[in-house]
Amino acid sequence: MILVGIDVGGTFTDIILADTVKRKLAIHKLPTTAPDPSEGVLLGILGVCSREGIGPGQVDYLFHGTTVATNAMLEHKGARTGMITTEGYRDILHIGRHQRPQNYSIMQDIPWQTRPLVQRRHRKTVSERVVPPHGEVLVALNELEVRARIRELKAEGVEAIAVCFLFSYLNPEHEKRVCALVAEEFPEAFVTSSAEISPQFREFERFTTACMNAFLGPKVKKFVLGLTERLEGIGLKGDVHIMTSNGGVATARTIAEKPVYSLLSGLAAGVLGGEWVGRRAGRENLITFDVGGTSADIGIVTSQGITEASARETRIAGFPVMVPMIDVHTIGAGGGSIAYVDPGGAFRVGPRSAGSVPGPACYGKGGEEPTVTDANVVLGRLDEHHFLGGEMPIYPQKAFEAVAKLAGHLGLELYETAEGICTILASNMANAIRSRTVQKGHDPRQFSLIAFGGAGPMSAIDVAHHLRIPEVIVPLYPGITSAFGLLTTDLKYDFVKTELLISTQNPGSRLIRDMRELEAAARDQLLKDGLPENRIRFLRGLDLRYVGQGYELRIPITENDFDGGECDRIWSAFHDRHRVEYDHCFPKNPIEVVNLRVTGLGVMPRLPESFERNPATKLNDAWLRTGETHFRVKGSLQRLRTEFFDRSRIPAGATIAGPAVFFQKDTTTVLPPEWNAHADEWGHLVISRNL
Amino acid sequence: MSKLTNPEHKTKGTIDSITAQVIWGALENIAIEMGHKLTRMSYSSIIRESEDFGAALLDPDCNQLCESVFSTPLQLGPIPGYVRGIKRVFAERGEEFQPGDVIMHNSPYYGASHGPDVAFCVPVFDGSKLIGFSVTTAHHLDIGALVPGSCGIVDAVDAYAEGLQFKAIKVYDRGIKNQQMWQFIADNIRASEMVLGDMEAQISASRTGAERYLELVREQGLETILAASEYLMDYSEKMLRSEIERLPDGSYSAEGFVDGFENDPDPTKRDLKIVVSAKVQGGDIYVDFTGSSPQIPDRPVNMPFEGTVAIAVYLVLRSILLDTETHEYIPQNSGLTRPIHIHAPLGSICNPTFPAPTIARFCPGNIVASTLMHALSQAAPQQISAGVGNLKVVAYSGLVQGKYWVYIDITEGSYGGRSCKDGLDCVDTLYANTRNNPIEDIESHYPLRVLRYEMREDSMGPGTWRGGAGSIREVMFLSSGHASVEGDGHRHAPWGVFGGSPGSCGDLILNPQSEIRKLPAMISNLSLRAGDTLRTVSPCGGGYGDPAKRDPAAVLNDVIDGVVSRATAVRDYKVVITDQNTIDEEATHDLRHCG
Repeated sequence: MILVGIDVGGTFTDIILADTVKRKLAIHKLPTTAPDPSEGVLLGILGVCSREGIGPGQVDYLFHGTTVATNAMLEHKGARTGMITTEGYRDILHIGRHQRPQNYSIMQDIPWQTRPLVQRRHRKTVSERVVPPHGEVLVALNELEVRARIRELKAEGVEAIAVCFLFSYLNPEHEKRVCALVAEEFPEAFVTSSAEISPQFREFERFTTACMNAFLGPKVKKFVLGLTERLEGIGLKGDVHIMTSNGGVATARTIAEKPVYSLLSGLAAGVLGGEWVGRRAGRENLITFDVGGTSADIGIVTSQGITEASARETRIAGFPVMVPMIDVHTIGAGGGSIAYVDPGGAFRVGPRSAGSVPGPACYGKGGEEPTVTDANVVLGRLDEHHFLGGEMPIYPQKAFEAVAKLAGHLGLELYETAEGICTILASNMANAIRSRTVQKGHDPRQFSLIAFGGAGPMSAIDVAHHLRIPEVIVPLYPGITSAFGLLTTDLKYDFVKTELLISTQNPGSRLIRDMRELEAAARDQLLKDGLPENRIRFLRGLDLRYVGQGYELRIPITENDFDGGECDRIWSAFHDRHRVEYDHCFPKNPIEVVNLRVTGLGVMPRLPESFERNPATKLNDAWLRTGETHFRVKGSLQRLRTEFFDRSRIPAGATIAGPAVFFQKDTTTVLPPEWNAHADEWGHLVISRNL
Repeated sequence: MSKLTNPEHKTKGTIDSITAQVIWGALENIAIEMGHKLTRMSYSSIIRESEDFGAALLDPDCNQLCESVFSTPLQLGPIPGYVRGIKRVFAERGEEFQPGDVIMHNSPYYGASHGPDVAFCVPVFDGSKLIGFSVTTAHHLDIGALVPGSCGIVDAVDAYAEGLQFKAIKVYDRGIKNQQMWQFIADNIRASEMVLGDMEAQISASRTGAERYLELVREQGLETILAASEYLMDYSEKMLRSEIERLPDGSYSAEGFVDGFENDPDPTKRDLKIVVSAKVQGGDIYVDFTGSSPQIPDRPVNMPFEGTVAIAVYLVLRSILLDTETHEYIPQNSGLTRPIHIHAPLGSICNPTFPAPTIARFCPGNIVASTLMHALSQAAPQQISAGVGNLKVVAYSGLVQGKYWVYIDITEGSYGGRSCKDGLDCVDTLYANTRNNPIEDIESHYPLRVLRYEMREDSMGPGTWRGGAGSIREVMFLSSGHASVEGDGHRHAPWGVFGGSPGSCGDLILNPQSEIRKLPAMISNLSLRAGDTLRTVSPCGGGYGDPAKRDPAAVLNDVIDGVVSRATAVRDYKVVITDQNTIDEEATHDLRHCG
């Protein structure tokens, strides 16, 4: 079977082609094309196919990670969008949670006020009202009014409409009816409703998500359907699958309707790639650490799988998004992060980055400020002959000049300054990881750090040192781990229903009924995608809290947990989880069910365990040269004799003691003293402290 | 006042700038973790949804080292004062901190912000050595005052009527829980299950902070942590001083008014005056409240000096001078208070004496903040906003099957216009920054229905940069109950500046669809029946600059969006908008230049 993964990033489009039978892997990298990234996708596929001597028609599955929706949000370039909402609540979208994003600021802006998804003029109200607890209709929907509002929106030139009613998660009938009326009155419009996108309570977040879907709809739909058409044009027959924010894939057709699911498409692929690498190595708890020039993306994987973000923390361009998303935490720290002294005299690194233009000072493209990459040059860890496989010239002198200037401001010695840049960067990164681990009750000492991306393997061991993480794994191809991740997942659709039920009121039968309903919906979606029954699986969960609490904990459940309608096993699982999370539980207190979740999985073909490769048989053949580098050992900075290796030639089973440096085409791995690297059978470098 | 170090210093004591950065990140992480834990474990919506809580670590001298960045300034700022208060009480009583202690404190005359904001303080020991404090504060739903709820207690005649007073009470003494005390609290407050659950959450979060701090101290050494903390405080201080130095030296003053009790026959209880004079002298700023109204002995609008007035001052100065939108992110620690010197005459509303009641000090405190900003508008015209709309806090309550339910709703205000920006609409203002509760949450858990929640139209203060819009919110009782309100802004509209017009006043109306009864901004325990509806209208911010200089395109946008009427466009902005929603250029030109 032939699988193709395409990861479109800001700078490069990475293509990976895997032949699962011959266990062959082909990789292709080309610049991302703008404004239409599908050009590059097409060129890339044709390129890799011709190199491997296969026709596009032989590709069975195509997986794509896209940033079209993400960029449209970041640049706020979407459709002119209208909204139809309940009378009396025209400005839910504008008032939000009435909290200022910043505590200490007069001049701040509020994203949804300065850059509204729907301008007030296009927010129309109609009479209708649904009420709790069960979605009873208090005020009937006034259809004449609805038709009039739709015609107004049409006349105003909107391209997309979001239908957002209070309590629609309890009873979506009014929303559905309005969608049907839009289809009659204004069939060209892209229409979406809040309960269809995310049937959960908290109106600001749900309405915003629905409006975002409408805002993104026309643009993403055009891109996705256009891409599909062009791929068919070059003879590709396999289905196009697009990576979704929840770490699964969805068909192009689904994303055309629900583009908001693809907001983290690109980032999710990285976490999956990291997960695949860690799992191959047999590790359970993983921190995925994807570092590029400007940012580091951090994901957490435990025995429960990839960690999902809580609804509260999921944001894009400052807007809340209420759809299941992988918890990817991004901070402004990477190889291009700039080091400087701020007006108060503090030594800082990032979040400002030199990017790729002008880039670090050592690129010689006009950058003068010292970056993390420059610090590594000064410390002798990068060299001009092997940086990025020798394809990219660097000018060490410029790095020295830039760091020396900073050292002058700080009154520190040159190498101390360079090492300080690396230390502060690693500390910033370590804090970001702490916020995802320690703060959530995970102990980083029980995790492996999977380091990839262009700059991950350069800083990873310093970061591990700060967090007492015992082990770092650097994948065989760190630069294309995201593209790899695309090939490791399944079709995945999340269905959620808010059900406020109390544990003491025998909610079992109602939950079972609702669960069946959600399963049916998930099955329908997967059958529609062409999955045969035997490749469909379900995961189920409940979001629970003690009555009165405001945050829920997700408890995975199975059918067997409902013991003849009894839910005792579920409740005790919740008490246990609460204790783990907060060192505290209240076994006598009633529990409130908030959401019921069913995830439908459509199982996709698997990558083989390993691929053919061609390393050297002796470590000596991978050796490049001996040089000198600077590292801190037992508190003092020392100049140390260091071996440099060609990463791609390291034989399986080899063990190398630090200090050492490994060059490869897309990244450099820095191995400090007191750490050992071991090349495992798949070619991953497993790095651990030398005891 | 502490001495400034040489701005070009490289190392201080045993600390280098690299280690200082590392420790800053680690400290802030601890405070954030405390905050997370508190919100996630807590029961009442005022903590978990409104985020009316604070979390911080202090050194043994009560200097704040770090704070949880995700919470509200009015809870965070006072934390050092709470612990100083606890120390004062301990000194008076001859008590000491012991390992395993958890101390509960809410005395506004000993550093607390007001009674409902209860602190739980865990002293951190390394062996037998006291190395700091881990503290959380949070607003509790009920504290056993004369009427249900912990806001809108506007009839309290003295500190005793405001509810239980916890003066540095050890609820855990050397690790042993004081069960009797706990039972006493449970018996004396309403909605006690919820309140006690919240208190447990606070204790748990404070203990977590203490554990993490101790781990960090063991990892880095106490010397290093304290040296880094001193370095970070010096740094924050230096940043603030350098901004104060940029202001022209001189004295700047302004007056503001708090509505007080609009219907009270006693004129001294109405229109309470706040007088601020801010003297800028080099890198220091002296804020003086001389001339403000005397304290009101029997109404709780007096402001604890340390826990409220000082916090309002610190908040405004930091927000104007080190605005996080335009400045580096700097550590929020006690270094930021060093250049600021505050004086308020004892016995004034800004520095009351015991037992004057203080529980409803929230709105006056925001007027202190707004008036100080007014004074500074002359010194820092590009960094301030015009007058800010004050909030209302409403406590809804009732009895269901013999058990109290209490729901506290903090409504929003609005900001005035700013240099090159309109004011923020419908947000918490100045020292408050809570979150509203989703309508879908309120109606699912309380016998209430929210009938309307929208922006006000055509009421914002006109200016080149106009004020923000306040909100209109209507809440109906589905069964009988009570409402208490603590609000402001019915009598004094937010000020305009540099030619901008004032914003507009707020309002409170009972049954807006039928009897339309106007209510004052301060209400104690109003009885309501099923079907009764309370409409809160929040003030709109003042304008910044001459409205006739506003870009006509911006006026057109406001008209199309329905937030400014055509009549207002003509009257205030001198812009003529046609029925086709275009600018009548000629008529506008005539109005603006020939009129």
